[in-house]
Amino acid sequence: MTVDPKAERWVEVGSSIAADLAAAVPEALAPILAAGQPKLVLLFCSPIHDLTRAAGLVADQIGEAALIGCSTAGELAPDRSTCGGIALWALGGEGFSVTTGQGQGIAGSLRQAASDAAHCLDRLERRAHTVLVLLADGLCGDQMEVVRGAYDVAGVDVPLVGGCAGDDMAMQSTQQIFGRQVLSNAVVAAAISSEAPLGIGVSHCWEPLGEPMLVTSSNGTSVETLEDRPALDVYLDAFDAPDEVRRNQEAFASWATTRPLGIRRRDRIEIRYVSGCDFQSRKLLTIAEVPQGALAFLMLGDAHSVLEATQMACQMACEGLQGAPLRGMLLFDCVARRSVLQDERIQEELQRINAVRGDLPVGGFYTYGEIARTKGAGGFHNQTLVALALA
Amino acid sequence: MNEVPWSLHLLSEVLAAFSVEDPNALRTVINRVAEAVDAEVVAILQQGSISHCIGLSGGEQPLLLAHSLNHPASIDLAAGHLHTHWAPMGKDALLVVGRLSEGFNLEERSLLRAMGRSIQLSAQVLQALTAEREAKDAALRQATHDAMTDLPSRSLVLERLEAMLSGGHAGDRVATVLFVDIDRFKQINDVHGHASGHQFLIAVADVLRSVVRSGDLVGRLSGDEFVVVTLTATRQDAESLAARIIDQVSQPLLLAGKLVSHSPSIGIAFATVADTAETLIENADMAMYRAKDQGRGCYACYDRAMRLKAQHRAAIETDLRRGLRQGEIVPYLQPIVALPDRTLVGFEALARWQHPLHGLLPPSEFIDVAEDTGLIVEIDTQILRQSCAILGGWRREHPEHFLRLSVNVSGRTFVDASLPDHVAQALESSGLEADNLYIEITETMLVEDIDSTTQVVERLKQLGIRLAIDDFGTGYSSLLYLKRFPVGILKIDRSFIDGLGTDREDEVIVKAVIGVARALDINSVAEGVETELQLEMLSELGCDYVQGYLFGRPCDARTARELLKSHGPLARSTTAGH
Repeated sequence: MTVDPKAERWVEVGSSIAADLAAAVPEALAPILAAGQPKLVLLFCSPIHDLTRAAGLVADQIGEAALIGCSTAGELAPDRSTCGGIALWALGGEGFSVTTGQGQGIAGSLRQAASDAAHCLDRLERRAHTVLVLLADGLCGDQMEVVRGAYDVAGVDVPLVGGCAGDDMAMQSTQQIFGRQVLSNAVVAAAISSEAPLGIGVSHCWEPLGEPMLVTSSNGTSVETLEDRPALDVYLDAFDAPDEVRRNQEAFASWATTRPLGIRRRDRIEIRYVSGCDFQSRKLLTIAEVPQGALAFLMLGDAHSVLEATQMACQMACEGLQGAPLRGMLLFDCVARRSVLQDERIQEELQRINAVRGDLPVGGFYTYGEIARTKGAGGFHNQTLVALALA
Repeated sequence: MNEVPWSLHLLSEVLAAFSVEDPNALRTVINRVAEAVDAEVVAILQQGSISHCIGLSGGEQPLLLAHSLNHPASIDLAAGHLHTHWAPMGKDALLVVGRLSEGFNLEERSLLRAMGRSIQLSAQVLQALTAEREAKDAALRQATHDAMTDLPSRSLVLERLEAMLSGGHAGDRVATVLFVDIDRFKQINDVHGHASGHQFLIAVADVLRSVVRSGDLVGRLSGDEFVVVTLTATRQDAESLAARIIDQVSQPLLLAGKLVSHSPSIGIAFATVADTAETLIENADMAMYRAKDQGRGCYACYDRAMRLKAQHRAAIETDLRRGLRQGEIVPYLQPIVALPDRTLVGFEALARWQHPLHGLLPPSEFIDVAEDTGLIVEIDTQILRQSCAILGGWRREHPEHFLRLSVNVSGRTFVDASLPDHVAQALESSGLEADNLYIEITETMLVEDIDSTTQVVERLKQLGIRLAIDDFGTGYSSLLYLKRFPVGILKIDRSFIDGLGTDREDEVIVKAVIGVARALDINSVAEGVETELQLEMLSELGCDYVQGYLFGRPCDARTARELLKSHGPLARSTTAGH
C-alpha cells in the first residue's frame, strides 16, 4: 500500500474578488474543500467586506477546522494580487497538527494579548517542526510588543511568523478573526506543527542612504531627534522632500512609504515604516519602536530592490525545508512594497514568487508590519516580505 | 554592515528602556539586550534564583542555574547549543545572555559586561525613584483619600466639586450632590463593635461605587457620611439614583456572623449659579436631615426654607452648648403620689432650660436639636446628677423620708455604655440608694434597641437600678422583656388616662396594663391625671401610683421641697421593692 504524500500534508489557497461574499466565499473555498477537510483556514479579507459575515460563511463550510484571519491592505493568491477581495489559505492532512488562540489587547499594548494568543502552543500536539503564526492589530501601539509577548511563551524553540492586519491604507482600524468572532486591538494565533520541515524567509533589500545617525531622543514609536536635530527636519532634508510633503500630512504619508528608517542590528538592518509625522513638534511617527540610543539609517529602495527581496525571501524559505519538497507558501508582504511596485509592476512580483513555488499554492496578504523571529529574540519588520514554506 | 563599527550605542539603547513610568521596565530592558546582540536567551540570576528570563520555558530555566558556577557554558537545548555569557550585576546578581548561532566575541563580551553593571545601577536608581514616587503618591493619596474606604476625602470632594462648578455648562445637566447618611449607624459600632462598623462602611462605599455611573464621584466626608457628586438633567434622575442607593445600601449585610440591615437617609441638592462646593454640600446635608425627619430610609430634595430652619437650629445648638456650660439646664420635679391614700412618694425629674433671655423653656424648644447633635447625652447626665443631688440633700435632712426618683433618659443615652458609670457616680455623690432611683425609658427604646442595650441593662441591674417603662401600651412590648429586664414600674400613657370615664376601650386598656403589672409584680404609674374622676377610677382599678396636674405640675427644687414638707414624712412603700 502506498501513501499519497498529499494525503499526509496539504496546503491549498483560494481567492475571490467577487463583490458579494455569498459568491466570494464559495469561490475561494472551492479549491480548499476539493483538497479535503482542512485543519486550519486563514481568512484574509478586505475591509470593504463585512468580516463577521465572511467569517461566518467560511466557518459554516469548513467543519471542525480552526479559523483565524484579519482585515488586509490587499490579498495575495496564486497568480493574483487583489485589493478588495478575499484570500483563504488552508492546510490539512494527518501530518499537521494545529491549535489556535487569541488575546484581547488594551489600547496601546499588545504584549499580553500576544502572550495570551501564543498559549495555544500549550495545547499543540508537538511534532518535529513547529511554527507560531501571528496576526495582530496593525494600529495598536508598539508592534515590537507583539513579538516580545509571543516570544515570552514560544521561547527559543518555536519560530514566529506573521503580519499586522491592514485597512486598505485608511489607517483607522483593523480587525482580527477568531472563529466566528471579529476582534479589534487583538492578536490571533495559529500554532502549526508538522512532521516535515518548515522554512522561513525574510528580506527587504532596502539600502541605506548615507551614514547612520544616533537616535538621540525617542519614545516608543515617536522619533523626536536624530543626532540632536528634530527628526522630521533631518528626514525631510536628507531626502530633499518637495514643499507639498513638508506641509501636507497625506502627501507626507504617501511619500514616506518608500523612505523607511533602518535600525542597525548585529548583522542586518531592521526596517521601520514611517507612518506619519508631527509638523508641530517635528517628530517622526513609526508603527514599531525605534529605541533611543539606536543607530538609525535613512533607507531607500526601488522596484528592483523590492522584486529582489521577494525572490530572496521565497528562496530563503524554501531552503529552510532542507531539501524536502515544497507543498505551499504563506506570505506576509508589506503594503509599502506594493506601493513601490504600483499596479504596473505587481505582476512582476507574482512572477518572482512563481519562479520559486512553481505551481504550488501560495497565499497571504499585504500587511502593516511583518513578524519573523528565527534567531535572536526580536523579529518585527516593516517593508519586508516574510515567507513561510511548508513541506 | 562591516563599515559600521560595533558600538556602545547599544548600551544607551538598552538603558533608554528604563522609565519610572513603566513598572515593567526591567522586562523591556531584557528584551532590548536580546535584540541588541541577537541573543535568544537573557536572564537575571539573583541569589540562586532566576528573577527574569526570556527565551526559555519554565522547564528549561533550571539549566541556567545548574551552570551558574561554570560559566561561560554551552548548554544543550532542543533548539541547539546555547552559547552563554555571564556578566556581573553587582555582588549578588548575574546577567546571563545566550545565543544559539555562535558564542560572544571579545567586543560583545565587553559590551555585555558594561550592560550588566549599567543595568544594575539603573535598576537601583529606578527602584529608588519608584519608591520615592510611590511614597509621594501614597502621601498624596493619604491626604486626599479616606484610608478605610479608599474614597476621596472631604478636601478632594470639595476640590473636584469646585472644579465642576467652575467648569461651566455640562449641556442641560447640573452638578448634583447626594448626601448619604447611615441611619442609626452608632448602633452598629455599639452592638457589633468598631471592626464591624468599619466593615459596614467599607461595604457601603463599595455599594456606592457600584451604583453610580462612571464619571460620578463618591466621597466620604466623615464617619457615616458619604457624598455622591453627579450631573443630572432632571430632578427625577437624582431621585432615581437616590432610590437605587437606598435599595442597595439597605440590603442586609453579614457582620460578625449576624445579618445587619441599616437604611441610609439621603439629601439631594442641585447646583445653582451662586453655589460654592461648600454651600452645595451644606444644602444636601440639610436635605438629608429633612429625610431623617420624614422617617429615615428615604430621600429629600433641598429647598431654601431648609436653610432658614437650619440656621435657626444652628443658633439653638450654639446657645444650648453655652447653656449646658452655664448650668442652665435644670431638673424640674413632678410629684408622684401613691394610691389610695394619696401620699407623696417621689418625683419624676424633667429637663427645663432656664434661659437668661427667654425664661423657662420646655423640652419641646430644644430636645430635637439636642437629639440631633448628641447633646442629649450631656443633658440627661446633668439632669441625673442634679436631681439625685437634690433628693440626696433632702434625704440627709430627713432620713426618715423614702423618696423615689424617676429620671428620663433618651434612646441615645440609654445605649451609651457609660450610663451605668454615670448612675453609679450620681448615687455615690448624692448618697441615694439604688432603690430610690428609676431610669425611665420608653417602651420603644426597650424593644428596638434590645441588642445594644442588653449590656447597659445588665450593668444597671448589677447596681440594683430598676427601669420605669414610659408610655406603656403605645408600643409592642413583649412581656418577655418585662420579665427579663429589671422593670420596676410601668407607666400608663396619658392618652389612655384621658379617656377614662369617656372611652370604654381606654378603660379596658388601663385595666389590662394594671393587670399585667400586678401579674409581673411591677408597680403601675398613671400619667397625666387631671381629674378626680380619673383618680377615682384608677384607684378602683388598683393602680399603684399617679402623677399629673391634679397633684402638681413639674416644679423647681425649692417648690418641690415645700410640697414635700406639706406632705410630711413618708415611709418606704411596701409594694415598690423588688
